[in-house]
Amino acid sequence: MSEIRFINEFEPDRTFTYDERIALLRKRKVAQTEEKAKAGGADEDDYGLIVQDKFDYKLQPNHPNGSIYGYKAWTFNYCSILKQHPIYVDALDAFSAKGFLFLERLRPKTKKWNPDYPYPELQAIFDKYQVISGIDNCHHFTPDLQIGMELGWGGILAKLQEQREKHDESHHEFYDAEIEVVKNIIAFIYRAADEIEACANEERNEQLSENLHTMAQIDRNIAENPPKTFREAIQWSNWFSMLSRTYNRGSAGGQLEDLFNPFYEKDIKMGRLTDDEAVFYLACMFLQDSRYWQLGGPDENDNDKTCHLSYLALDAADKLNIATNLTIRVHDKLDPVFFRKSVELLFKNKQGWPRYSNDKALTEGFMRNGYSKELARKRVAAGCHWMCMPGMEYTMNDTVKVNLAMVFQVAYQDMMANTGLVKPSAETLWDYYKKHLKIAVDATGAGIIHHLTYQTKSQPELILNLFQHGLIEKGVNITDGGANYYNMCVDGAGIAVAADSFAACEQRIDIEQKLTYDQLTQHMIANYEDQDGEYVRQMMLHSERYGGGDTLGDKWAVRISQLFTDLVKDLVRQHKDNPKHVNFIPGLFSWSNTILLGSILKATPNGRKAGEPINHGANPNGGFRKDGAVTSMCNSIAAVQPGYGNTAPVQLEVDPQITNDPDGVDKMCAMVLGILKSGNTLLNINIIDAKKILEAHKDPYKYPDLVVRVTGFTAFFAMLSEKFRQLVVDRVRAVNGDACEE
Amino acid sequence: MKQALITNIQRFSLNDGPGIRSTVFFQGCNMHCTWCHNPETISMKPVLMHYQNKCIGCGRCFSLSDPPEANRIEGGAHVIDRKKLKNPEVLAENCQASALVMSSRPYTVEEVMAEVVQDKLYYDLSGGGVTVSGGESSLHASFISELADACHEKGIKIACETNMALPWQKMYVMLKKMDLIMCDIKHVDSPTHKKYTGMDNQIIFNNVGRASLLGIPMIVRTPLIPGATNDISNLKQIAEFVAKLQNIECYELLNYNPLGSSKRVAMAADDPFEDARPYSRKDLDEIRKELEGSGVRIKIS
Repeated sequence: MSEIRFINEFEPDRTFTYDERIALLRKRKVAQTEEKAKAGGADEDDYGLIVQDKFDYKLQPNHPNGSIYGYKAWTFNYCSILKQHPIYVDALDAFSAKGFLFLERLRPKTKKWNPDYPYPELQAIFDKYQVISGIDNCHHFTPDLQIGMELGWGGILAKLQEQREKHDESHHEFYDAEIEVVKNIIAFIYRAADEIEACANEERNEQLSENLHTMAQIDRNIAENPPKTFREAIQWSNWFSMLSRTYNRGSAGGQLEDLFNPFYEKDIKMGRLTDDEAVFYLACMFLQDSRYWQLGGPDENDNDKTCHLSYLALDAADKLNIATNLTIRVHDKLDPVFFRKSVELLFKNKQGWPRYSNDKALTEGFMRNGYSKELARKRVAAGCHWMCMPGMEYTMNDTVKVNLAMVFQVAYQDMMANTGLVKPSAETLWDYYKKHLKIAVDATGAGIIHHLTYQTKSQPELILNLFQHGLIEKGVNITDGGANYYNMCVDGAGIAVAADSFAACEQRIDIEQKLTYDQLTQHMIANYEDQDGEYVRQMMLHSERYGGGDTLGDKWAVRISQLFTDLVKDLVRQHKDNPKHVNFIPGLFSWSNTILLGSILKATPNGRKAGEPINHGANPNGGFRKDGAVTSMCNSIAAVQPGYGNTAPVQLEVDPQITNDPDGVDKMCAMVLGILKSGNTLLNINIIDAKKILEAHKDPYKYPDLVVRVTGFTAFFAMLSEKFRQLVVDRVRAVNGDACEE
Repeated sequence: MKQALITNIQRFSLNDGPGIRSTVFFQGCNMHCTWCHNPETISMKPVLMHYQNKCIGCGRCFSLSDPPEANRIEGGAHVIDRKKLKNPEVLAENCQASALVMSSRPYTVEEVMAEVVQDKLYYDLSGGGVTVSGGESSLHASFISELADACHEKGIKIACETNMALPWQKMYVMLKKMDLIMCDIKHVDSPTHKKYTGMDNQIIFNNVGRASLLGIPMIVRTPLIPGATNDISNLKQIAEFVAKLQNIECYELLNYNPLGSSKRVAMAADDPFEDARPYSRKDLDEIRKELEGSGVRIKIS
């Protein structure tokens, strides 16, 4: 297929209802997804990216290593892309704005960081402890689209030009780059309008031709000016999304009601919009990109933000029924009818949406960093496991990972190298663990500071900069002081592997004395494949696990989480003199690095063999309990929450038969509330038929529209590599207890 | 300290009463229902379960077997002669792969409480609680009576699943402390009842009638077993009986649960319902239609 123009597909006199158009658009999306999967797939979000063969951009490097660094090179290449990027047109759709590539990914993979700013000493520590430093990563903070919707691209351009005049030459590189970018964006949208108009003239179906004419006119309206109607507002946000993704995959979204309800209410009042139309526009928005939207949650007076538009958003997602990243912020005053409806849709569609966040834990946690409740409430769900205040903070969310399991391995090896000095035991091992985790976390903090200091020399945030409060007035890139706050995310990964390893050592060696540390070490060196190796592995594997409920594994997980939290918070003290007033916030999340972070980890005392993936996020390892009880798992995850407003999400796989009971939905509502009220911060749920997922794992094209929530993001199952499909399958097995085996 | 043999404490249990529950399965039953989906709980003593798919072939069970010939290889398969084997507990204890496990172990009330109290929040939010099941729960009436007191002290509701086939005086101790009684009437015809369960049904009708006067909500249930209990006439007569009782929440029909088959394999026991399958939604709807008008709310699970 690889087409980017969909006109003249239907007879001239055929008419379409909105529902018919949604169904046809969905069909096209599924076909495009299958095509994308066959072209190699991707272990990540869908992004609404279109695979096509009409346009291929060749990067123009400004460095001998073939990469691009700094304002000028990024501006030049981005603007070049905009000048050439073809316009995707679908006459059935309400909107234009589909993108084909990410500039940031056109760079050589290993040349993202500017080599003029090396960090060899830190890199040595990162390698030793397998820290993913986040250095060179981009976006992973949230723009405030409201800024753009109020100013429009023309207003932003005027503001940039005005501010340039007020600043000295040291800021001109910043302003010149941003001005050039915005001028090209405006030109791009005008060009899109012209090309869509041409398609409208070509389209022989009367209804669809009229749709294209309207689409073109809307693009002309908003190329410079702010949007005035509901449809214009969504089109504006779709353009933003495509333009930001094309630059560096930058995230977008926010509180859906805050952004669009004023337009919706105004249009309804003026009689120029119906609910059917609004649902169609929202469905087309969800189709355009799988970005994160938050629904519900409390306003500044603790009242619920849920409104009629919130229901329409659920209706739209239901009708479209593809990968949709909707998060419902649960709080005491959340509309119970809305909440129940969301749970019904979760089980009806089995597509991994919506997911649920816990306002109380997130708000109270974030306030522990010294923020007001009002600011804490502004942190909306915006990524796989993360929240962000739109337009106010720089975070590096989800890009920094400390492999807690690798730290365990280093600590264990250090202890065993010193058996002449210390008697090995779980407590001795803990002393070594504390020492090594501090080294790893301190280096991670230093890496973040290094990133903040030099990131502009590698990759300035030319798009997201424009939607930060006060940044244009300051005239600097967001990493150079342009943000109001710096709340740097530091995640721990592999907590279950580390906790279960401590527990297995304590139980089997220290308490039961079934073997010695020397014997265990020998078995681990042999990857449990020596004589009696498998027997010992099974013994360690069946120790008291994290997730079992008041087990030794649970106890160790809490200790590790507390230690990690204390060490991350100590980074604030260490870097208190940094002029950016950098805060560090701990979380527990691996993203989809479970395979990478497990790949070079050797065999561990919990019976895990060398190279096997680490546990997912804050979830326990598979087989944590014979019955796989959801409640037990979730209580354990609640107990390890770091508690500063970043998350340690629950990733839950639930069998759809749960709701066969007439009271099933009520029970699931209680389950969701229970998981959050017990102190958890974020809940991702997959409703997966174990048999179906096993079939789809063998033959991904058998169910091309099967969507799963992989980590925080949802994705078409067929798009995932075999290893990633295996991860989801393993999680399904874990909560089905022995049921998958018997 | 009082103890009882418990096969499993199943948390996040959604099919053993209202809301989200923790179900405590007791060892031992006075009936021998041929379709039982928890066949390992019928014996009054722990049973050795053998899950061959988990075996890692370490051979320890052969070297520890007393007498040695109680564990042997026949036709390439590991065969355990349970009648001869004197030390099943030793074999299970030394099987690290959990291929050999004993069906139950003794628990104190405190141990059960330590487990079930962890989900109190979920009980409160869903109207759930603890369910005692089995086996036959009323065989452990005294233990369960103490467990009920401990649950109530923590504000946790407790329900029982019982066959109602013990003398009333023995059952009463436990029943009076329940917040919900779920009991089975499997067949109205006493010889048929005896054929499938090993017991007459007279005492059951008698006890169900008495229990309905305790002022405690009750659910009377019939498992739908193909060829055994599924006769519409049987179900209608039970429904009509139930309709005359007090404190009845509903008459509940439990779809056939094939879970027992895999367990019977693990116990090397015969499975007379090997070919039986759960009823389809359509079949269940037809059964429901037949029973409508009997004067009691019908629930199908």
